[in-house]
Amino acid sequence: MGIADGLGEGFSVALDPTNLLYVFIGVLIGTVIGVLPGLGPTATIALLLPLTYELEPVTSVILLAGIYYGSMYGGTITSVLLQLPGEAASVVTTFDGYQMAKQGRAGPALGIAAVGSFIGGTIAVVGLILLAPPLADLAVEFGAQEYVALTAFGILLVTYLGTKHPVKALCMAALGLLLATIGQDAITGTGRFTYDQVELFDGLDFVAVAMGLFGVGEILYNLEKSEKAEQIKSRIKNIWPTRKDFKDSSGAIARGSVLGFFLGVLPGGGGVISSLASYGMEKRRAKDPSRFGKGAIEGVAGPETANNASSTSAFVPLLTLGIPPNVVLALIYGALLINGVQVGPQLIDTNPEIFWGVIASMFIGNLMLLALNIPLVGVFVQLLRVRAGILAAFALLITMVGVFSVNNDVFDMWVVLAFGVIGWLMKKTGFEPGPLVLAFVLGAILETNFRRAMLTSDGQFDTFFTRPLSGTIFGLMALVIVYSTVMGIRRQRSGRPPALYADQLDAAAPHETVPGSEAEGTAGVAAADGGSADDSPSPGGGSTRAQP
Amino acid sequence: MSKHLYRLAPLALLLFGLFAMVQARDLSLGELGAPGPGLWPFICASLLSVTAFVLLFVDDPADYEPWTRDTARIALGLLSLAVFIVLFQEIGFLIPAVLMLLIWLRLFAQEPWRWAIPLAVLGAVAFQLVFVEGLGVPFPDDIVLGG
Repeated sequence: MGIADGLGEGFSVALDPTNLLYVFIGVLIGTVIGVLPGLGPTATIALLLPLTYELEPVTSVILLAGIYYGSMYGGTITSVLLQLPGEAASVVTTFDGYQMAKQGRAGPALGIAAVGSFIGGTIAVVGLILLAPPLADLAVEFGAQEYVALTAFGILLVTYLGTKHPVKALCMAALGLLLATIGQDAITGTGRFTYDQVELFDGLDFVAVAMGLFGVGEILYNLEKSEKAEQIKSRIKNIWPTRKDFKDSSGAIARGSVLGFFLGVLPGGGGVISSLASYGMEKRRAKDPSRFGKGAIEGVAGPETANNASSTSAFVPLLTLGIPPNVVLALIYGALLINGVQVGPQLIDTNPEIFWGVIASMFIGNLMLLALNIPLVGVFVQLLRVRAGILAAFALLITMVGVFSVNNDVFDMWVVLAFGVIGWLMKKTGFEPGPLVLAFVLGAILETNFRRAMLTSDGQFDTFFTRPLSGTIFGLMALVIVYSTVMGIRRQRSGRPPALYADQLDAAAPHETVPGSEAEGTAGVAAADGGSADDSPSPGGGSTRAQP
Repeated sequence: MSKHLYRLAPLALLLFGLFAMVQARDLSLGELGAPGPGLWPFICASLLSVTAFVLLFVDDPADYEPWTRDTARIALGLLSLAVFIVLFQEIGFLIPAVLMLLIWLRLFAQEPWRWAIPLAVLGAVAFQLVFVEGLGVPFPDDIVLGG
């Protein structure tokens, strides 16, 4: 199917009234939860997973994707107005966006963010269209070895790139892989770790695990934080940016689109890393870098564009290889599996309506977001009056009833509760749930392909290294490990904070903590470590903590 | 002693990993050319144990948040959820849902009674309507509705 045919089919799917409604619901929910601090995209998508049982596969992905990129818009609003990022990717926006608001330019800051997000999102959709089909064609040739290599590479990159502490993340990934083995062995039928419990024969339910770790865990964690009511001080007027604003930020938007697209495709990439990278790039390129942190419009436009572009391009590896590059995509992947859709290189051919329908819905969703955001910012801001405690109570009830509705089984409610406790303990102890869930989702693919490769190669381990493609990927993995270890040691020796982009963050960070923001799971690059962890906003999931 | 408390988390993970390794071995490992059901879990459990062992020594104590008085509130919140699940199974949705919402709205959200009570009742009824009437989820028999 050519691109034109594909898009034609896609738009006919996306313009179907039901799907149109769900794009709208998705971007609306996304914007709302982006505005509400304390409930991020990961938690929301986890909470809504049971709903996807009721929907067609393509509709559920359209909905969940809308929530994801919608939350990128919504997070901007609170970042600019209150210096409170609703989700982690918007942390960077607080640097200059809040300063602009203090200078009475909240309107243009929000306006340029919406326009930039729209452009970034749209460019990334075009990139997705161009890149995905050839990649999928290539991936059809993959054997078991390549899948082992790619899956392991995905897990490794998420643990290395996206987290504060690679060993801890790796430990959680191992735990996720182990939990995925609970239940009947797919090949021999032997019950594993089931302890004769009938409920465990089918393994732990992915929905229950994700809802527990991200939903309940997050709510319990926030319970320990004291809340305070927020007051909007700046009035919003003249939301449409001036011609000068557009001129100043056009370069930032163009660079942000491209940068965000490529960082989003990488496993472990996604919103946080791309917005940080874009901010760093704009600051380096600026004639007068000292303007940054004092209300430079490029500092809002670039990162906001980049995080939207990356949240779109993150669909490339999922839709072509069947490998989710970050946790939000892992949840969407889970939703597809629940619906019995095989996600992988064959998806474009076997389920063209999903591939092209989701792409077309992104065009429409981005347009809707632009239309929603420019005139309705004032309405969304009112949402901040909803108290987090009320939200938590109802979110918990939704979780409990929702997970029950999946299998009509009370056992799943206990699983949610157990994983809620685990998720909360993990947050308290600096372990991130993202790698665990990603590994849990990928565990079955990894095991099946590993065993298939072992069987066909008669137990020769070098089969992974002698095939050109899997050998290359394993080579890359070795490079990542060596490089990050060497860099880690060098950073430690020179006494610099052991995290990517720490310099940019340190330089521009307003010295306040950021409560209630949530990383999209693993995508948190730690801002700073050790001593400085208390006075700079850190976008990492486990590292966003309020001061006691 | 207390400055080593943070090592409890990796220690627990290490013990869990070792336990899983033993269990996986009992499932029969097979051999590389013909992997048994226990081989893959054994590999995962080994990775878990090794990383947890490393964390025993290299982990950063600053990652661990102190336990506060509020931790007791979490325990109470968890207890309320557990009670909700038990009651839900025994007497249906409405009463446990009202009770759970009341506890969370009054105790944790600290809403005044005049807000907590109507919100809890209306919330529970709305959920009942959406899930049972709207989505057709078969809740356990309800004593209020006479099952």
